[in-house]
Amino acid sequence: MSENKIQVKNLTHAFGDLLVLDDISFNIKNEEFVCVVGPTGCGKTTFLNLLTRLIIPTSGEILIDGIPADPKIHNISFAFQEPSAFPWLTVEENIAYGMKIKKESKDVIKKRTDEVLNLLGLQKFRKQYPHQLSVSSEQRIVIGRSFAMHPDLLLMDEPYGQMDIKMRFYLEDEVIRLWKNFKSTVIFITHNIEEAIYLADKVIILTNKPAKIKEELEINIPRPRDIASKEFIEYRKYVTDQIKWW
Amino acid sequence: MNNKNILIKQILYLVLPVISVLLLIVLWFFASSVNRVLVPTPGDVIDRFVKTFTNPINNQYIWGHIWASLRRVLIALFFSCSIGIPFGILIGWNKTAEATVGSLFELIRPIPPIAWLPLIVMLLGIGEIPKILIVFIGTFTPIVLNTATSIKLVDPLYLDVGKMFNANSMKLLFNIALPASMPAIFAGFRTATSGGLMVVMAAEMIGAQEGLGFIIQRGMDAFDVPLIMVGMVVIGLVGVFLAVVTNYLEKLVCHG
Repeated sequence: MSENKIQVKNLTHAFGDLLVLDDISFNIKNEEFVCVVGPTGCGKTTFLNLLTRLIIPTSGEILIDGIPADPKIHNISFAFQEPSAFPWLTVEENIAYGMKIKKESKDVIKKRTDEVLNLLGLQKFRKQYPHQLSVSSEQRIVIGRSFAMHPDLLLMDEPYGQMDIKMRFYLEDEVIRLWKNFKSTVIFITHNIEEAIYLADKVIILTNKPAKIKEELEINIPRPRDIASKEFIEYRKYVTDQIKWW
Repeated sequence: MNNKNILIKQILYLVLPVISVLLLIVLWFFASSVNRVLVPTPGDVIDRFVKTFTNPINNQYIWGHIWASLRRVLIALFFSCSIGIPFGILIGWNKTAEATVGSLFELIRPIPPIAWLPLIVMLLGIGEIPKILIVFIGTFTPIVLNTATSIKLVDPLYLDVGKMFNANSMKLLFNIALPASMPAIFAGFRTATSGGLMVVMAAEMIGAQEGLGFIIQRGMDAFDVPLIMVGMVVIGLVGVFLAVVTNYLEKLVCHG
């Protein structure tokens, strides 16, 4: 087995005549945290839907561990942009939900749910319902639910788009904590360049529609990162120059 | 100055409902003073109500009549839920079912339940079953309608979460669509309950031997206006009771 966990080969997708993704190829190493940045409307959502196999690409393929991606074989998890915790389940039932569908054993479900609750610091609220918590906590439950699946690939679609800056910093540290703990492979979509550089091992910069890969950029800053450090600012400037969608 | 105004307003809003009720009672007494036979005083109605506990009407005390009406509504509700909720799920979830049985349902639905009364009486007589059947028709519609609509309108985001976890369509239905629809199904149940009371009154006014509708009818036949009013007040109280029970059940089942 190659060390590349995810291989995307010549991925192209068109809705009728409208070409959305044009010949995208990249690899993601096991346990790597990849951020995808690109202009709004460049096809990021289509890109994600292709990865989750909610839609089938016009051409090209996605391999996970060398096998074509298939939700029946692989564990692909997705954190949506909008808070998507189930209002009729408690916090812990929400976190356990995906594992229940995958028919994990009771012990595994219990162990991982506790693990996630601990990492999120939500033990006190485990029996509460999402609407009794804040929107940011609801989003944290969703993210916890995704990590708890031990996914082969975890996709996040601007999960922090709605949060204020202070909350974002807090949640970004939290997602790093979860990622290190569960050793997941993550693709994180954002249009916040600072967020991308703070989180990612590697940033993939997309162009305007039809989206192509403009550049793959390794972020070689040791963690925890300081957004005010000189090298961080240099990275940020560089990526901003690469995008310039305004 | 401002605080004082707010205080006056608060007191006003507390006092106004009391004044309205008092005004109604005064009006009632006034009407009674004009014609006490046709409009008995509140005291007459209370006296008549007390008498229903000691003097049976058609061999039944008031409890028996309350239970007769309540029993018919509850049996009808039981059947409308156990048939209506699955039926609503079916036409809300399955496009083919919606197009076939769903359109039949849409065709029959606009007929008010009471309009069925003569036909059902002629077909099935005046026994217990036709009465329950009429109430069933009245309670079935709101339950099916609310269930089907809410199943159809479940937030696609929740279904996407399920699909992402690779849930099959049975799991999507029973783990996601159904719990997400519970509040709306309960709203349908509430509408059905009050509608059921309405229909049972009408059903009991034709050839019944017991029930609150029967009491009202008996009051009319015997020119016993206080008894009519007793029947009206008691059915109102039964409605309140059912609403309270339904609210309690809803709190128990839905958390969202």
